[in-house]
Amino acid sequence: MTHLYRPILSLLVVLCCVAQGQAQQTEAAFISGNFKSATFEEFAREVEAQTNYQFYFDATAVDSLSITLQVKEQPLSNVLSQVFRNTDLQFAIDAAQRVFVTRGTQLSVSLPKNFFEPVENTGDSAPQVAANRLQGEEKEVKKAGSELKLYEIGVKREGATGKANLAGHLRDFKTGEPIIGAAVYIESPLIGTTSDQYGYYSLTLPVGRHELKVKAIGLQNTRRHIMLYSEGKLNIDIAEDVRTLKEVLVEAEKDKNVSGLQMGMEKLDIRTIKQVPTAFGETDILRVVLTLPGVKSVGEGSTGMNVRGGSTDQNLILFDDATIYNPSHLFGFFSAFNPDILKTVELYKSGIPAKYGGRLSSVLEVTSRDGNKKEFAGSGGIGLLTSRLTLEGPIQKDKTSFLIGGRSTYSDWLLKKLPNKSFNESSAGFYDINGHISHEINEKNTLYLNGYLSKDRFQLGADTLFRFSNQAASLKWKHIFQNKLYGVLTGVYSHYDYDVTSKKNPVNASRLTFGINQSNLQADFSYFPTSKHTVDFGASSILYNVNPGTLTPNSPESLIAPDRLQAERALESAIYASDRFDITRRFSVSVGLRYSFFNALGPRSVNTYAPGAPKTEGTIQDTAVYKSGDVFATYHGPEYRLSARLGLTDNSSVKLSFNRMRQYIHMLSNTTSMSPTDVWKLSDANIRPQVGDQLALGYYRNFRANTIEFSVEGYYKKMQDFLDYKSSATLVMNHHIETDVAGAEGKAYGVEVMLRKATGKMNGWVSYTYSRTLVRLDDAETGEKINNGEYYPSNFDKPHDFTLISNYRFSQRFSTSVNFTYSTGRPITLPLAKYTLGNSQRIYYSDRNAYRVPDYYRLDLALNIEGNHKIKKLAHSSWTLAVYNLTGRRNPYSIYFKAEEGRINGYKMSIFGQPIPTITYNFRF
Amino acid sequence: MQMYTRRFKSIICCCLLLLGGCVEPYAPEVIEGPNHYLVVDGLINGNGITTVKLSRTQNISEESMPMAEMGATLLLEEEQGAQYPLHEAVPATYVSSSLNLDLTKKYRLYIRLSTGREYASEFVDVKQTPPIEKVGWEALDNSLQLYVSSRDPQKNTQYYRWEYEATWAYTAALNSNIKYDEATGTIVPRTRSDENIYNCWRTDYSTGIKLGSSAKLSEDVIHEYPILTLPAASEELRIKYSILVKQYALTQEAYQYWEALRKNTESIGTLFDPLPAQLTGNVHSLANPDEPVIGYVGASSVQEERLFVSREELPKEWRYFYPTCQMDSLMPAEGQTLADLAERFKYDAYMPVTEIYAPDGPPAPIGYMGAVKGCVDCRTRGTNVKPDFWE
Repeated sequence: MTHLYRPILSLLVVLCCVAQGQAQQTEAAFISGNFKSATFEEFAREVEAQTNYQFYFDATAVDSLSITLQVKEQPLSNVLSQVFRNTDLQFAIDAAQRVFVTRGTQLSVSLPKNFFEPVENTGDSAPQVAANRLQGEEKEVKKAGSELKLYEIGVKREGATGKANLAGHLRDFKTGEPIIGAAVYIESPLIGTTSDQYGYYSLTLPVGRHELKVKAIGLQNTRRHIMLYSEGKLNIDIAEDVRTLKEVLVEAEKDKNVSGLQMGMEKLDIRTIKQVPTAFGETDILRVVLTLPGVKSVGEGSTGMNVRGGSTDQNLILFDDATIYNPSHLFGFFSAFNPDILKTVELYKSGIPAKYGGRLSSVLEVTSRDGNKKEFAGSGGIGLLTSRLTLEGPIQKDKTSFLIGGRSTYSDWLLKKLPNKSFNESSAGFYDINGHISHEINEKNTLYLNGYLSKDRFQLGADTLFRFSNQAASLKWKHIFQNKLYGVLTGVYSHYDYDVTSKKNPVNASRLTFGINQSNLQADFSYFPTSKHTVDFGASSILYNVNPGTLTPNSPESLIAPDRLQAERALESAIYASDRFDITRRFSVSVGLRYSFFNALGPRSVNTYAPGAPKTEGTIQDTAVYKSGDVFATYHGPEYRLSARLGLTDNSSVKLSFNRMRQYIHMLSNTTSMSPTDVWKLSDANIRPQVGDQLALGYYRNFRANTIEFSVEGYYKKMQDFLDYKSSATLVMNHHIETDVAGAEGKAYGVEVMLRKATGKMNGWVSYTYSRTLVRLDDAETGEKINNGEYYPSNFDKPHDFTLISNYRFSQRFSTSVNFTYSTGRPITLPLAKYTLGNSQRIYYSDRNAYRVPDYYRLDLALNIEGNHKIKKLAHSSWTLAVYNLTGRRNPYSIYFKAEEGRINGYKMSIFGQPIPTITYNFRF
Repeated sequence: MQMYTRRFKSIICCCLLLLGGCVEPYAPEVIEGPNHYLVVDGLINGNGITTVKLSRTQNISEESMPMAEMGATLLLEEEQGAQYPLHEAVPATYVSSSLNLDLTKKYRLYIRLSTGREYASEFVDVKQTPPIEKVGWEALDNSLQLYVSSRDPQKNTQYYRWEYEATWAYTAALNSNIKYDEATGTIVPRTRSDENIYNCWRTDYSTGIKLGSSAKLSEDVIHEYPILTLPAASEELRIKYSILVKQYALTQEAYQYWEALRKNTESIGTLFDPLPAQLTGNVHSLANPDEPVIGYVGASSVQEERLFVSREELPKEWRYFYPTCQMDSLMPAEGQTLADLAERFKYDAYMPVTEIYAPDGPPAPIGYMGAVKGCVDCRTRGTNVKPDFWE
């Protein structure tokens, strides 16, 4: 910068004094000359000598320029255009015949139109900010804030034709957070795209003048006038539409239902989630996800999700790219995600992008917000069981922001109320902490750092104490190579562990621990070669380290023999590529392939069982010992990802998708509900990976200018080798777990119908699902047969499911939400006969899951009262009054028969058998 | 079905006002199975009398006693060796003579029903059961915890199962000093020659499955396994209580069977309890291996230990059980005599307790106090014969 021809400060002073003027305004001074390999400095002196023009430039910016040019009586602007052709240098000439040469961004020689006008803040329209950079620092990207100004993009060339690429970030005007899923498009010809999870968009447009429109629900619609010359960047800040703060239900592109290629994907925005009443007044994303078509659970109080007939371990739950193994708190009554720090939740049920893999049924991607980049802010809530507080703000304004959130519980009193004596003597609690830092190094590089910690403890009865903990950290570096290509490098560490300690009986006092560590490294690239293609490719690798179980004595008198299951290690790697090809406006396909590899690593001793015979301790033929790092089992295979969309009309389309998934990690559980002490097991020489195929077909139609969305999706799914357990299996501290589990196969099919209205006073959705999930266990290798090897309904096979989620806004400040859910009762195993053995009546059970509990239905009601809507006030607050299970129906969770005092008694257990009123106070500042 | 509902009357539905969680009695739609599978209940006793009961499964809604399987032929068979017959001591209960089995051999139970169908259990090892180290008790806050400790220095046992027989002394609620004399039709005083209907003993057998394992321990030790908890206010603890604990060593396979049976029928229904499973055992039909037969016939010796707990040893501050009963005063109505009143006690169900005298009248009764038999005659629930082991 030392070579600046004139000091920058004086330039600014001068600029401020210039009257309104046009860029490239030229006097009638013509230039003639013959330059041969001249430097720009030589060229400038020559021009200054011939005319009154004065040049201002940074010598380093032009030192690479070599000018060979013959001109005769040409205006300066034409000459400069030729000189700067094919460079990123820009020039501007002001009224005082000063020529400013800059790199990248053209210097504006006039002030924006509203530069001296006061900033509006009425709330109806958010203030716009003069965006052009007056500072001398190099800027390649235009940051467009004005709807009226014409933004020139790229290197100006006269009469240029063809196409050029425009890319940039969409950001929230107020907080600087990226805007996800906004539509960016021009209308003639209709070319558009949507912003990705970083708020990034990339469009290839014909060169020329366009009106670029940006639409996102919940934000003000905005437009920018652009003059596109060549490849360039344009960042757009968009103001939140304050009036629709609580109106927004589902943030998605209005016509994405029909026009997007993706099917089987549900995207929920935190504002939607907050409207749905929950049992304890705490916003719970997993509860809301469970209301979506195709997502089921065995019952209330269990967070385990079953997506389209998949088991609970077949969901990849990503929280800011980190895998979360146990997404629940407190027996599943709370989800592990603090609602205040969340931005969006995306659930992929079919048409899963090639980027994701490793689980059979679904991907649930939970994304936290970036902190406010402009000012310090906070929010929180006080509920009956939990309280939470979130703080956020800039560390370096517009560049770096932080977000930190915490949540804790005071739930012991709840347990005292539970009907079971052992619960009365119990205690329970949890907390979680989230941290998020995003740092924009420069326009091309951004860093994101996330941290997450959750801890739970509960003591059942007076003896056994359970504790479990999730920990996750991720570091993400996004680099934009050029407009059409960007890459994200992500490093993730996630950890889950639990321990169970018992010390009542000193001789048996023990501590059982389980832990899983996962380290990921992945690189993902997105490439936009033309407006018709979007190519994603990348590679990932996961190193697993599992401690399947360690048992140690927990008191000096304890006789517990220390025992440790062999540690498991494995490397799961994948490469993928996919191309979305928009063949015509109506027809697009996405073809993807993911190839995954799995290597089980030593040190380990591995049992070999007699081929063909059931695996038991008696059929162990050989035990091979592998050294550290030895690969003792390898699995690999392709995973196909195909989807296609055919637009029938502007308002309707048909989509088809097929995907194959492979899963190398399994959860072992013999309880109905997902339990915190379930064991995760890696595939190895004796346990094969699970493979699942899904074919889905859907019809989509929008009504009333895209305000009402209708969709019908059908699917058929086949799953192989997912683990079921044998009767009387021991899943904890088992040195040869393969003898106690069996490979099951499953099939699932169904139709999901959904009608959704996203905007307006009345919004919400209605869905109906018919689905079946069947399992078959007839494994010759394990000698295990259930129900004679016939297909039987799985625990969560609930054929009919109807859900209504609705929200009605009476006024700006009052809104109500009503939920209604109906589903067929889940299958259970009932006693077929009784007999007397050992002085007591006992039960002989029917075939597994041959009967069902009575049907389930529930009605919830919530009332939201907002404080006033003044934009400037100390804190915004709201009250939520809700009644969960308004009718007080005792929906049976389970029906069971127990031998008590020698007799068989039947019981029906319901978890929430009464209306549960809650009140929550929320605030943000 | 009515009977079925009545069964649950005593179970209180405890619904929470706030949380609303709820466990209610439930009688399902009647599940009727056409099959009545054979149930084999017993184990091979390595050093004593083997007792096996044969019965049939019945539908859940049936209230009758399980169908007994009588007239069967049972043999205790040594693998490639001797056969020891069992004889039907009482209907459907088959007993052997006292045997001392060879611990190095395997044994099984062979059954031939009166219909000619043949069944056999799998051959099993005879486990040597170590002696019970101690049966003890501990007074907790408001209950008595009974526990059993055991030890096998040879470390051969590892898996244990216990049963118990609890016996306690009790009295009727009301001590009657008069009785109805059938010969004269009058009320007469009780004398020494009358049966004691006030002091009795009652014996109950364990119903739950009590299992312990030392497999995870470095020594083969069971330390204070809680076998039974009695509330302080239970009748058992009012006077004197005794428990006879029987210990059986199990093979790992047998342990797994009992553990599965326990989970299936006792530990079930809460959020994280395991799902029920179909469970049969180790007895099979010789003709049709797919026919479900219920029961696991293991083999082991039996060890026993008895414990007494009397009221004097227990905490003084506990609130103990005290039997109460409603008494009626019966006075002759106009024109009635005491003899007419005595008629009321003619049937055994209603018994006289004591005579009523006028406060300042002559020393002749003017009426009787009466109560239902259960309040007066302790034999309705037990026996007035003192058990021979009673101290």
